[in-house]
This record gives sequence, C-alpha cells and structure tokens, in this order.
Amino acid sequence: MNRKWNNVKTFLSKPYNILLILLLLSLTYLVVLPLFSIVKDAFVVHPSEKSRIGQAVGSFTLYHWIRAFFSNYSKILIWTPLWHSLYTSVFTCLVAILIGGGFAWLVTRTDMMWKGTLTKLFIFPYIMPSWTLALAWRNFFKNAVVGGAPGIFTALTGIAIPNWFAYGPFPIILTTGLHYAPFAYILIGGVLRNMDANLEEAAIILNTTKARMFTRITIPMVMPAVMSTIILVFSSSMSSFAVPQFLGLPVRYYVLTTEMYSTIQGTNPGVGYIIAILMIVLSIIIMLMNQYIIGTRKSYATVTGKSANISLFRLGRIRTPISLFVGLVVMCMSLVPLISFVLQSLILTDGNYHFSNMTLDFWIGISKGGNDYQDKAGILLNADVWNTLFNSLKLSFACAVGAGTVGFLAGYSIVRRRGSLLSRVVENLTFIPYLIPSMAFAAIYLSMFSQQRGIIPPLYGTFTILALIGTVKYLPMASRSGVNSMLQLSPEIEEAGIILGVPWIKRMTRIIVPIEKSTIVSGYLLPFVSCMRELSLFVILVTANNRVLTTLLFFYDEKGWAQYGNAINLLIIFIVLVMNFVVERLTGASIEKGVGGK
Amino acid sequence: MPCIRLVNVTKQFSKGARAVDGLNLTIEDGDFVSLLGPSGCGKTTTLRMIAGLEMPTEGDIYFDDKCVFSAEKGINVSPDKRGVGFLFQNYALWPHMTVRQNIAFGLENMKWEKTKIESRVREICGIMRIAEYVDRYPAELSGGQQQRVAIARTLAPNPRALLMDEPLSNLDAKLRNDMRAELKRLHMTTGATFVYVTHDQSEAMTLSSKICLMKTGVLQQYCPPLELYGEPCNMFCADFMGNPAMNFVECTGTPQADGGIELKAASFDVVFHPAEGDLKGAGRITAFEGGRCVLGIRPEMVKIVDEGGIEGKVISSLPTGMDTVLALDTRGITLSAVAFGRIDYTMDSMVRFQFEGDYAVLFDKDSTERFALGSLEIL
Repeated sequence: MNRKWNNVKTFLSKPYNILLILLLLSLTYLVVLPLFSIVKDAFVVHPSEKSRIGQAVGSFTLYHWIRAFFSNYSKILIWTPLWHSLYTSVFTCLVAILIGGGFAWLVTRTDMMWKGTLTKLFIFPYIMPSWTLALAWRNFFKNAVVGGAPGIFTALTGIAIPNWFAYGPFPIILTTGLHYAPFAYILIGGVLRNMDANLEEAAIILNTTKARMFTRITIPMVMPAVMSTIILVFSSSMSSFAVPQFLGLPVRYYVLTTEMYSTIQGTNPGVGYIIAILMIVLSIIIMLMNQYIIGTRKSYATVTGKSANISLFRLGRIRTPISLFVGLVVMCMSLVPLISFVLQSLILTDGNYHFSNMTLDFWIGISKGGNDYQDKAGILLNADVWNTLFNSLKLSFACAVGAGTVGFLAGYSIVRRRGSLLSRVVENLTFIPYLIPSMAFAAIYLSMFSQQRGIIPPLYGTFTILALIGTVKYLPMASRSGVNSMLQLSPEIEEAGIILGVPWIKRMTRIIVPIEKSTIVSGYLLPFVSCMRELSLFVILVTANNRVLTTLLFFYDEKGWAQYGNAINLLIIFIVLVMNFVVERLTGASIEKGVGGK
Repeated sequence: MPCIRLVNVTKQFSKGARAVDGLNLTIEDGDFVSLLGPSGCGKTTTLRMIAGLEMPTEGDIYFDDKCVFSAEKGINVSPDKRGVGFLFQNYALWPHMTVRQNIAFGLENMKWEKTKIESRVREICGIMRIAEYVDRYPAELSGGQQQRVAIARTLAPNPRALLMDEPLSNLDAKLRNDMRAELKRLHMTTGATFVYVTHDQSEAMTLSSKICLMKTGVLQQYCPPLELYGEPCNMFCADFMGNPAMNFVECTGTPQADGGIELKAASFDVVFHPAEGDLKGAGRITAFEGGRCVLGIRPEMVKIVDEGGIEGKVISSLPTGMDTVLALDTRGITLSAVAFGRIDYTMDSMVRFQFEGDYAVLFDKDSTERFALGSLEIL
C-alpha cells in the first residue's frame, strides 16, 4: 500500500506527467467525445426536422440514414457529391504533381532562367487563401449564363465563355491543383535538391542514357515524395470548401463539403452529419493508406554527397521559350489574380473595365446612411469591416496563443515520457484534429456545443466556440513542431537544472523556452496565419455577431457584392502576406514549410 | 590499360577559388596512384575531372594518346565513353534496386546479352564474396557489404581504370583495415589502373605504388610512398606524412670546410653531413651562408641511449605494446621519439638520446623547400 502511494507520489511529482494527464482529459473531451456526439446526431431528430419526420426533437430515428442511402434522394445527397469529390480530388492531384513536379525538375535540374524570382512567385498561391485562384478565375471567366455581367476576359475579347470552362469540375480542378502545385514543388523539389548527386553520376559513368536515367533512377527516387504529396493534396482537396462553393454552385456542381454545408444550413442537418462521418471515414482510410505506403516503401535517406554541383541539363535552344512560358504561367498563378482583384474592386458597373468606370468608392466611399450595395461605406471606412477585422485578429490571436502554448507543452511532455503508453495516447490525440476535415470538425462542434453540456453553456454563436475549435484544429501543427524541436534537445540540459534544484517553472522559462525560442514563435505564428485565412472551419459556426473577415467575404459574395468581396479578399491576402513575411523574418519558418495540408 | 595524362589542368569554380592549379600528372598503366592531401586540396576535383564528371577550366587530359578533354580544342568526351569505373565515397548504391539489379544496370546499358550479364554478375559477386546477398536491397546490408557491392558494380563492366573517392572513409577502423588488404589484392588480380583519393596518409602509404600529394590545388610531390616519406621536398610534405609527425627544429647554420653544416638550435648544436648523391642539396650547400633553416627529424631517428648524446626530460610516454611514443623536453625544444618494443618510461624522468640514420632533412625556413638530406652528429 505504502509502496503504491509512493509510486503515485513520484508520478505526480513530475510536471510532465501532470501535463499529460491534463492533456489526456481535455483532448478526450474536445476531440474524442465530439466523435461520439456526431454519431449520435446522425440518429436523432433536430428541431428543423420535426415536421418532416413527425417525431419529437431529440428522439431516436433512422430517417437520416434511410434518406441518405436508401431513398430516391440518396443519389443527389451522397453518391453524386461523393463522386464529384473523388473525381476532382484525383485530377487535382494530377495537376498539382505535374505542374509542381515539373517546375521542381526545371528548377533543380536544368539551366532555366530567372530561377530565384520564379520560385518565390511560384510559392505565392500556397501562401494565399485557397480560394484566391478560384475567385480570380471567376473574375476573368464568369459568363452571362449564371446572371450578372461577364468577366474580364469576355469584356476584353468579346468571346463568350462556355459553362464548362467557367464553372464546374474543370476550373475547380485547375485552380485547386494550382493552389497545391507549390506544395508538390516543395516536397519533390526538396528530394531532387537533396538527392545524392552521386546516384545519378554513378549511372552516367555506367553508360546510362538520359531517358533511362530519368525513368529508372530519378523517378523512383522521388516516388516517396510524390506519394506523400498525393496523400496530402488529395485529402486537402477532399475537404476544400471555398473553391467548389465559388466555382461549383453556379452550375449546381456539388461536392461533399458544399453538400454538407447546404444540408446543415438547410432543413435536414441529420444528413449533413452523416456526410461529416463519411468524410472522416474517408480521411482515416487515406491516412491508413499513407501509413501502409510509408511502412512498406523505404523512404530513401537523401544524404548529400559532397558533389553538390551536379551538372545541369542544358535546355539549349528551347531555354528562352521554356523560361518565358514558365514565367507566364507563374505570373498567371501569382500576380494576375491580384490584379484582377484590384480591378474588380474598382469598377462601378459590372463588366465595364474602361477607366471612366473606375472608382475608389468601394474602398473609401462615404455612406449616406444606408447599408446596401448601392450605398455602403467603402471597406476602409466601414465600421462593420473594422469590427470584423478586429474580430479576425482577436480570433487568430486567441487560436495562436491556445494552440501555440498547448502545442509546446504537449511537445515537451510527450517527448519527456516518450515510449510510455500515456505519451503515445496523448500524441495520437493531438494528431486526430488533423485527420478530421475542417468542415466536418465544425459540424461536430456545432452538434456538440449548440446546447448546454454539463457546466458548459451552449456555445453556438459565441466567440468562445470559434477560439476553441481553432485552437484544437491547429494543435497538430504546433505540437508537431514542439515534439520535433524537443527531440533535438537532450534531457541533460534540463537535468542539469534539476540537479541544481531549479524549480520546474524556472527551468521552463529560463532554460527550455530561451533555447527553443524560434520554434515556439513559429508554433504561435503559423496557427495565426492559418486562422486568418480559414473559411471552412468557421463558416457554419459564425453568426452575424462574430463574423471574421473570411466569412464576411463569403457573405458579400453570396449577396453578389463583387466589389466589396474583392476588396475584402485583397485585405485578407495583404494581412496573410505581411504575417508570413514577419514569420519568415523572425523565425525562418513559413507556411510552406509547416505541417502541410491546408 | 591506359596511361592517364593530365597536362596543365586547372579548375576554377565560379566563386573564384582555384580548386586545382596547373596540375601536371602522368599515371602509368597499372599504377595504384593515391591523390593525397588535406580537405579542400583539390584531390576529389582532380579525380572527378579524370572521370569526366567535372570539366577543367584549362588544360588537357589524355587517356593513352587519345585526348579526352581539351579546353583549347573544345574536346570533352563524356564520362560513359571514357571507360572508367568510379567508386563513390558513400557508395551511391541505388536504394530502390537489389544488389543484382545494381550490378546489372551498367551491363544492361552496354546492351550485353542476358545470359552474359547473368554470368558476369555471378562471377563478380563470387569475387567480391557477396553472392548470398544478390536479392537484398542496399539498406539491408552492412557498411562493408555495401562497400563490396559498390566495388562489384564498378568492376562489372571491366573498366580500364578504377577511380575511387575515399571509398573506405565510411567504414569502421577494423573493416577499413580488412578492405585495404582486399583492395591491394584486387589491384593485383585485375591489373587495372587505380586512382585513389584519400586524406589518410597511412592509407596512401600502405596501398599505393605512387602518391600524389597536393595542397590548395597545387601538386607538392609525386613519387612512390617510401620516397615521399624519406625524401620530402618541402616542410608540408614532411609534416603531412608520418605519425607521429616529424620534429621540426629551428636553427641557424654555418657551412664548414668539409662540406658539413654546423647547426645551432636553441638547446643543442649538431653538424649536418649532407648525404652523397643528394643532388638537390649539392649545388646549394656551398651557397649556404649562415642562413636560418629548419631541421626535420623523424621520431624514429631519435634514439634513446644509455650515455652520451643529449639529455631530455620525459614529459609524456604513450606505450602501445609494440612501441612507445615519447615526448622529450630539452630546455625549450620538445621532440617526439619512438622507442620500439615493450618499454615504458616514468614521467618526468631524465633520459639521453642521439640522432641516428641518414634521413634528417634540412629545410629553408623562408621557402620551406628542402636543402638537403643527411645525417646528424651531435657536438
């Protein structure tokens, strides 16, 4: 008995044990419980469904499942969106790999011109919010079919754009693919750059032709990077919401996320929860596949030999044309969208891009007291916008502090107890939010916190729920970097403090934190930037009282206030770019080097 | 088998530093030549230029009489056409191919017949003693096995010359010794020309038929190992070869009538008798006028004696069982000495020593060049 008590006392005398227990409890509540809650929600009657089901609110029903899978509607509700999601995601991967991988090859292996500038610009779309290219696409190619004035392209050339080009799978695949191409470039380019040049030189010496070397040596070597790109791009594009919302909706092209949004906002949330479950299951399957692939395929150590100066493939006569072409594509990905936002936020009447039709009203116009499209203060003078901006910053700040602090402490305690069951469980718990698609996660929190839960009051519509979900969702980002950095710090450094009798708080603040300064800062700043450009996580949780910039953009867009929407979008991009710049300057970390994914 | 000839080869990287500067080198057919020097001396660059992986900025390279590279004439034969094998420091085995595939890859490129490839793979695996691992992946092999696979892959197409870039530096000490013996044996059985890059002077000493010692891109001395050890042409060569390193004693010299030179060091005086036939020194000895010079004495020339000679204090004694390395202090000058056999000396005890042998070296202090070789007589 005494011995047991002694064990307990020893266990609790270690601060990291206490931290792990606290994390275990809170993450169980915030991550595991919601998973059960959403399953329950798929089996009960919700207020908006009372009349159509004819049962009391909260009572058990199989209505949602039958409707989703075994009714005339199941095709519209589940199968078509599922097919659309899979279809667009597969081709998005293809676009991202081909463009990103091709660019990586050109940059690392050929003598293409302007590499420095081009790589900087190529990363751009990945730093900007995911819908940037989609909005730009619509600015250029929207047509009269859906209503409203045609886009810049038609205005300039007079050529009418067919529907398939303007909306639906084609532009969704292209814009999402281009958004993730930089990610493919980063992963594949990293392998190509770090790949031991000796491997290729050994082949050269042994009489290998260029083609054979490419197919037998280079491609197999980058295969693991290609696989992990595919996994990440696929799951990101499965859970992407804004792009299909902007480009799919006009032609009623629904994917899982947009279908879920409309059902949860509509009269049958139960089906929405089923879609959320479906998405979680899909993403778990993808992750298991990932584990399986990583497990079986040896990821090749890419230790650089000393011959870093591998001879570049000479493009010869096609050098200039290729450089120009790549330059053009990169421009279209990075700068042209921004120009379109500027243009679109200036014009008075839609579809007329003449200079006489431009105004700064949407930026700095003064309202005469009304608050609609025709008479609304420019976004820089509009109190609503300023409140929203402030709310966005406040939310990002809250999420950053939450995720950053918890992530660092989690990293610390996980590493200190590495190998124990408790540490493993907590590590996996911190990673779960990463597996759950943003919108499904939001749906879970909506279902869980819309009513009183024990001592926790209903949180729907409050700032707290946004901060909470942001913190939990970005926790993997922060804890991953926390774990990685703590792994590199030997425990002796802290033990030297223990021997001298330095208390834990002081060890943390005077020893660990100063050493880990830069990772801690990036653990705070990466969630901040991600939060600033997050839409799908917040869109079903915000109410009119606590909008953030991204949902305001979404709101203006739904209303058809294109000029305001474009102006807000520029504002978001501006903030994100500035923040990313600050992060890079301060820590050397940046979004593109983060956990990936979003 | 070719003779490899480098004429005035210079390599300048874009940053401006010259990795190799005006190198003239002839590697005879069947030689085992080591390119030796501290890191950054241009030895690997030289090897890669021979292979064709790197392009010299200036100069010509010939294989026999065929020019494979000429900066002036714009000739650059690609690596695969030069018929050389290249062994990389980190082996550069393709991780996604089995041992068999790794070895067969080059043969397939040369459009060998399937059966011929198979028998060659079997043969070479037998020679390298890796036959039982042919279906494994490189990651499943130990360092030494990987090393042997790499050699097998390089030798399979019967290269005319085998170029090796520090092939043993990734192995542990014991394995390295085994592989040294194996390489020397391989050189004998294949009869191929070996060019070997290393920074380890004892490796170069033990393996090669000739050593090319380089420093910051410039060739210092090119000769058989024992000659390099015994007759270094300057202080760098003398210092680089040998472990423990050569003792350098600063002194001023005065020529004497009998052709000897009286040398005054801080704590002892000796007469240096130039060896007959040391042509390099002969002409200059007469010109030598009380100049400042450096006397180089190998540790094994410092012989502990019972009486006579110079007195020194033992400040360290490091016995290995086979020999004992001593550091002796004689009023300000510290000399290292080697005593052979199983002896140990008490620290701080006093001993007496003499200089033996004909390979004491006298260097010019300013140019660090060698004046002469000779023997020493204590005054």
